[in-house]
Amino acid sequence: MGKILNYHRPIRMILLINIIAFTLLYLYKESYDYHTILFGLGVIGLINTAYFLLKWGSCGDEYLFLIVAMLVSIGIIMIYRLDKSLGIKQITWFVIGIVLFFLSYFVYQKFNFWDRLIYVYMGCSFILFLLTLLLGKNIQGATNWIVVKGQSIQPSEIIKIFFVFFIASYYKHPEKLKIPPIPVNGKKINIGSDIVLSAAAYMYMGFLVLQREWGSAVLFFIVYFTLLYVFENGKKILLINGILAVLGGIGGFLFVHHIKVRVDVWLNPWKDIAGTGYQITQSLFAIGSGGFFGRGIGLGSPKYIPEVQTDFIFSAICEEMGIFGGTAVVFLFFLLVYRGCKIAMEVENAFNKAVALGITIMFGFQTFIIIGGVIKLIPMTGITLPFVSYGGSSLTTSFIALGILQAISKKAYEVEEELTVAKE
Amino acid sequence: MFEILSSIFKYIFIIIIYLFIFGIIRLIYLDIRSINEHGKRINEKYPYLKLINRREKLNFKVQESYILDRSKIIGRSSKSDIVIQDPFLSAKHAFIKVEGDKYILEDLESTNGTYVNNRRVENELVLLKNGDRIHIGQLDFLFVRELE
Repeated sequence: MGKILNYHRPIRMILLINIIAFTLLYLYKESYDYHTILFGLGVIGLINTAYFLLKWGSCGDEYLFLIVAMLVSIGIIMIYRLDKSLGIKQITWFVIGIVLFFLSYFVYQKFNFWDRLIYVYMGCSFILFLLTLLLGKNIQGATNWIVVKGQSIQPSEIIKIFFVFFIASYYKHPEKLKIPPIPVNGKKINIGSDIVLSAAAYMYMGFLVLQREWGSAVLFFIVYFTLLYVFENGKKILLINGILAVLGGIGGFLFVHHIKVRVDVWLNPWKDIAGTGYQITQSLFAIGSGGFFGRGIGLGSPKYIPEVQTDFIFSAICEEMGIFGGTAVVFLFFLLVYRGCKIAMEVENAFNKAVALGITIMFGFQTFIIIGGVIKLIPMTGITLPFVSYGGSSLTTSFIALGILQAISKKAYEVEEELTVAKE
Repeated sequence: MFEILSSIFKYIFIIIIYLFIFGIIRLIYLDIRSINEHGKRINEKYPYLKLINRREKLNFKVQESYILDRSKIIGRSSKSDIVIQDPFLSAKHAFIKVEGDKYILEDLESTNGTYVNNRRVENELVLLKNGDRIHIGQLDFLFVRELE
């Protein structure tokens, strides 16, 4: 036991967690379904193989994958406990995610033209947005799903990556967004490329608002604003964007019924506990009943919360693994963001820097928005907890983003080595 | 039965998750420490150990050079000052002592031995001079000391 619990080898801890959890799930409700054991072994084998490949190929940063593997394990265990068929689906998505992770790692490293495709990113995003609007299915009040051959896909997840690439390629080649001066009444009006960037970014958010995806719209704005803050020299554009955001928020609260309801529920969920406040109050009851160490896996009743496997997975974790389990998840995201920031600081190329930072803050703020929502710190908006929540689109695109981050970390370390050699 | 198991395992669960986080933080700490050592060399003039092996052929992390700004123990253990995860190294393998402007190498009873210029160091102190070749484990280092 002492050898297995050796903290010098964090990968063993992930394996141990999976072994214990899947044994418990095997005994849960006296099901004794041997498939559970097989799925558990599958997950362990997959994580181990992927980690071994990363180590063996010395593919840059090794902590990213370890942290994410822990998060995915916790997520799969929770989802499997909530609903076996969803758990099996999530494991399938995990397999696909790992494949896409390595694929995006190699593809991103192989080619060098990513910073020159600014129009492609913009075009793809807007085509996907239009497709969603035309063919979209309304699931839970948001028109953000396309159904292809019985499989529902959420295009806004993949657009997130396009959005980060779009902003990053702008900061590498700002001149590409320059519009020729427009002649008005004999005078020529110059429009700066930063204004064009802002307009495009707000178009992204506008489409999301049309789909009633408030959470993603807020997330896009925060990512855009943070990248602006980091890479833009002028204070004026920051100020203008800040004022626009405040105006947009107030306008939404006053004129959009949907947002007003959310804010009211946030301020006082107890007023309409059976109706609009039901979800958030159930979530608070679940977190409260967990206590410090939780009620134990399979012993809580998180199923009272609607949508517990996607948006409210954090409440289920808090109920069954306790506040310590919940804070552990937050800690893991902290470490992930820290590693991402470090990679962004080390890499030399401006485009890679912006992509690494964009992906990192995307993970970070997405976590903040959803965890803040379920613990009633901020108004609830429906987005997924990256790597933990149930959902194929969310998990696979998160893994694609992680693969890109991994590729950039490899580049960062290569640069470091070259510098060392050059100084000798 | 299931209730009892689950109630016990929830504590084990929390312990393992936090051990994992602790392990990751420790690895990151070691990582940062090696960067700080790296940065030092640029500013200050100290002798250093320069790696002769081609680094790509080694399957563990090793720096191109190690600065000797103070007495340092080389070994596999994380308590050593210069940590190299070479399986052929002992936990505490060799000691480089700084005395005034003298740099003295001592073997810490390592299993596979320490060699200076192809001669094994045994129960003795070796005064290092510029260009000495130090062989430990699978690694070859050059002792570089630029005298003004």
